[in-house]
Amino acid sequence: MAKPKVAFYWNASCGGCEEAVIDLAEDLLKVADAVDIVFWPVALDFKKKDVEALKDKEIAVSFINGAIRTEEQEEMVKLLRKKSGLVVAFGSCAHIGGIPGLANFTNRDEIFERAYKTTESTNNPEDVFPQVKTKVPEGELTLPLFFDTVKTLDQTVDVDYYIPGCPPPPDIIMDAVTAILKGNLPEKGSVLSPNIALCDECDRNESKPEKLEIPEFNRVHQIEIDPEKCFLAQGIICMGISTRSGCGQRCINANMPCRGCFGPLDGIKDFGLRTMAGIASIFALENEENLSEEDLSKLMDKLVDPAGLFYMYSLPSSILRRKRMEEK
Amino acid sequence: MNDSKTDSVKVTAFCCNWSVKPGLRLSNLTTDEEDKTIVTMCTGRVGPELVMQAFEYGAWGVLICSCPLGECKHDANYKTLRRILLLKRMLLQLNIEPERVRIEWIDTGEVGKLQNALNGFYDEIKKLGPIK
Repeated sequence: MAKPKVAFYWNASCGGCEEAVIDLAEDLLKVADAVDIVFWPVALDFKKKDVEALKDKEIAVSFINGAIRTEEQEEMVKLLRKKSGLVVAFGSCAHIGGIPGLANFTNRDEIFERAYKTTESTNNPEDVFPQVKTKVPEGELTLPLFFDTVKTLDQTVDVDYYIPGCPPPPDIIMDAVTAILKGNLPEKGSVLSPNIALCDECDRNESKPEKLEIPEFNRVHQIEIDPEKCFLAQGIICMGISTRSGCGQRCINANMPCRGCFGPLDGIKDFGLRTMAGIASIFALENEENLSEEDLSKLMDKLVDPAGLFYMYSLPSSILRRKRMEEK
Repeated sequence: MNDSKTDSVKVTAFCCNWSVKPGLRLSNLTTDEEDKTIVTMCTGRVGPELVMQAFEYGAWGVLICSCPLGECKHDANYKTLRRILLLKRMLLQLNIEPERVRIEWIDTGEVGKLQNALNGFYDEIKKLGPIK
């Protein structure tokens, strides 16, 4: 029997998801034995025309990482969708927008202005900006259009399953690949990691006081963090309350709080807002009844950049999806 | 609040069942306006996600009418206040006018205050217009 065909593709991502595939180590050989990799630009020399030459749905599964921010990425994922039986959003950026999704706090003009004009190291006296079409003596050069708004994979094409994480850890990847190869899959649209909050499996959970209250917000550089104690109990915002588990507590073990790369538990519509609601409810103050709204408001100002924090990985998948830009 | 005044202004009001609903009954809201009010068992359940969903469905502004601070049996209105204060900060960063979300503290008998709160909010939201 012919081996199932598999494709890997990357969009707006850092390359960490590709690295995560390599991190499968010896298991990668098992995967390579079991499947026929037909497209993987970072590792193998197949071209777009090779994908185009395949029949529709001939690829059993395409693992696509990265958010969608250019015309080329959109075109490629639509092609892969057409040629694939299953499409799996691989990693935070494809799943919920990820770090590239923070670009939705701005737009193309502002990004180009910064990157090609105002950075301290930019030397661009003639204000040369990337163009979709450029005429040169030899003919016309083209670049893919850069969108104003970063999108998740499922805002671009239909997605069957999600493998979360920045990047997804090897055990989550192997479990997903094994389930796909055996056809032992949950309901379409499922996120292939446990639907329990990170707090539930956190080693520091025991250190959590019975009634968890944050009297003030601390940032990681402001205090010496006790490596045994719940971050929230130390006044440090940790997003494990609403984040799916399965990461193996990588950040927690490095004494850093969770920032939500695994995305929301099932049923949460807006991950950033739900996390914020949870944090706000344990922000407990003595004598709160004696504080005016203005006093409370000033205390809230101590939480720096709340939108950037609570939407660190999920702005494109939030209800608003992006900052509203003024029309020019 | 006659029709010309509300003129397609879309406001959603979440009202506490215990403190505000009795006043809501006694107020002279039109049926249409009553349709835009959602009675909740406690404003502590009006999370920021719910507020943003109202905007997603086309609301221009969201008013939350809650028991006065200190009078909620569950002290949940303190939580609502903190959440809404944080939500307003996030909205500002996302370039949505924070004034589109407002909390009013209204006691059981304060029918006039409720009516004024609704009227005032309608007027202000009308000036802001829809979210583009």
